[in-house]
Amino acid sequence: MFGTMRTLSVMMELELRRLKHERTELYTRAVQPVLWIVVFGPIMGAVRAVPTGGVPYTDYITPGVLIQSTTFVSIFYGLTIVWERDSGILKKLLVTPASRYATVIGRSMASGIRAIFQALIIVPIAILIGVRFLPNALYFTSALLVIFFASGGFAAISILIASFMKTRERFMGIGQAVTFPLFFSSNALYPVEIMPHVLRELALFNPMSYVVDAVRALTVSGNLANIATDLAAIALFDAAMFFMASISFKRIIE
Amino acid sequence: MSTAVDVRGVTKVYDGKVRALDGVDLKVEVGKAFALLGPNGAGKTTLMRILTTQLKPTSGEAYVFGLDVVHEGAEVRRLVGYVPQEMSVWTDLSGYENLLVYAKIYGIPSTDRKRIIDDALEKMGLRGVANNLVKTYSGGMIRRLEMACAMLIKPKVLFLDEPTIGLDPSARRVVWEVLASFRKEHGVTVFFNTHYMDEADLYSDEIAIINEGRVVKLGKADELKRSVGGGVIQLTLGDGMNDKASSELKSLSAVGDVVLNGTELYIVVEDAETALPEVMEVLRSGGIPVKRVSMNKPTLDDVFLKYAGTRLETGGRVSEVRQMRRMIRRG
Repeated sequence: MFGTMRTLSVMMELELRRLKHERTELYTRAVQPVLWIVVFGPIMGAVRAVPTGGVPYTDYITPGVLIQSTTFVSIFYGLTIVWERDSGILKKLLVTPASRYATVIGRSMASGIRAIFQALIIVPIAILIGVRFLPNALYFTSALLVIFFASGGFAAISILIASFMKTRERFMGIGQAVTFPLFFSSNALYPVEIMPHVLRELALFNPMSYVVDAVRALTVSGNLANIATDLAAIALFDAAMFFMASISFKRIIE
Repeated sequence: MSTAVDVRGVTKVYDGKVRALDGVDLKVEVGKAFALLGPNGAGKTTLMRILTTQLKPTSGEAYVFGLDVVHEGAEVRRLVGYVPQEMSVWTDLSGYENLLVYAKIYGIPSTDRKRIIDDALEKMGLRGVANNLVKTYSGGMIRRLEMACAMLIKPKVLFLDEPTIGLDPSARRVVWEVLASFRKEHGVTVFFNTHYMDEADLYSDEIAIINEGRVVKLGKADELKRSVGGGVIQLTLGDGMNDKASSELKSLSAVGDVVLNGTELYIVVEDAETALPEVMEVLRSGGIPVKRVSMNKPTLDDVFLKYAGTRLETGGRVSEVRQMRRMIRRG
């Protein structure tokens, strides 16, 4: 148990150290969400077509766009795993006393570190544009924690994908094919209630909806009615994904 | 003498069809340097990955210091250092940070960490570049950093998979030098894969020749070369040969066969170095002038040819260097 915790913390420290040396990716990845908030938000908001429960439309989509971008970070984190497999890093990690499950979960959680920093770049820009976040440090910190844990689950999905897609090119393709449907079938840009019936059912199984809902409650709406359900759904999602990624990890190694 | 590595009848079949290992048996004594020599695709890496607990054998057993690699994997991993063939450090971290991460993974107590890391950097001659990003390192420096990682825990066995692949000759030599000094200091057993005959020849105490998943011959380099048979003495004569000298040569006990082709004389002998003086004596007393002498001693390549039925690939080093460079850039 102690060894597992140590492995998890080392994997996160590793990610922090990599970020210290190289942050360009975080900045370039911030471009897209900023466009959503700066261009898409105000224009769609002017139409007043989406019922947001009294929150300005740009404010409404900011948590959604934030989660979309951190999810992208996590899903493409699998590329790191592919790279570590192609190089000998993964092989060497397997020959350390660290358990391979701790290695998989640690690598997944490490993407959460990246996601938090991604969020911390986007939030100030959103504030500049006029998005009003709830002035509650506890809520905000909780939102970051939600992002952190949810990112781990999405990164585990990407490890799962990496175990099937053995080249970077294929991985890129499938990564795109996974993230956009997740985004559009979630409540990131519009409430689930206004979706067509089929999509609404799908949104129920879309982990991103729960993450967006939790972060929206903690950062803009302040309505915590569903937070327990959201957190339970995220915990379930993480557990399931960690389990599947751990199993599929064997395929990556061989 | 106790056994460091013990492999018994190990086979490995991938996906139910590709037979990478086909019943391998071998033993490595404690403190020895052991070379597994074979061409690409012979099964060297597969065997090493089984011994380092990454893969499970399809059948057979393997032990490292008496520990079963399948059932006691966690204990085995505490004893071994391993450097895979591919680059295995994070290029976007500094050399020091790479060692720090591994030191933490191994659970080296924080009070000893700095001293152990500095010591490893010093031994590998990386002290001056410790805080530079690994992507600025040369191939040889990266290899030495990887060795430093593997040596942090003072392993009992060091597994090196093609330790000098893609390195230029001087970087190769440095790698072997630092390894030799580490062995001398800690008496570590070294098990390395290579397809470079000269490295197996120079740096190992014992060699196993592997081809198509089978160990075809095992022994010390000298024994193996002797087992192939003797060498050939080749002489360029200034004049013709006479029958008397020819029959006298054939009667020498060290000489196997004599073949004359124009002015070129080929003499097959058991041991070229001891036979040459006698051969020269016969020729001189027979009044036959000799313009040029050369000796061909058997090499491990000849050994390989005899037991594996093919030659070791000698080409491909340039492409390996390119591949290594590409990896560094990409990282």
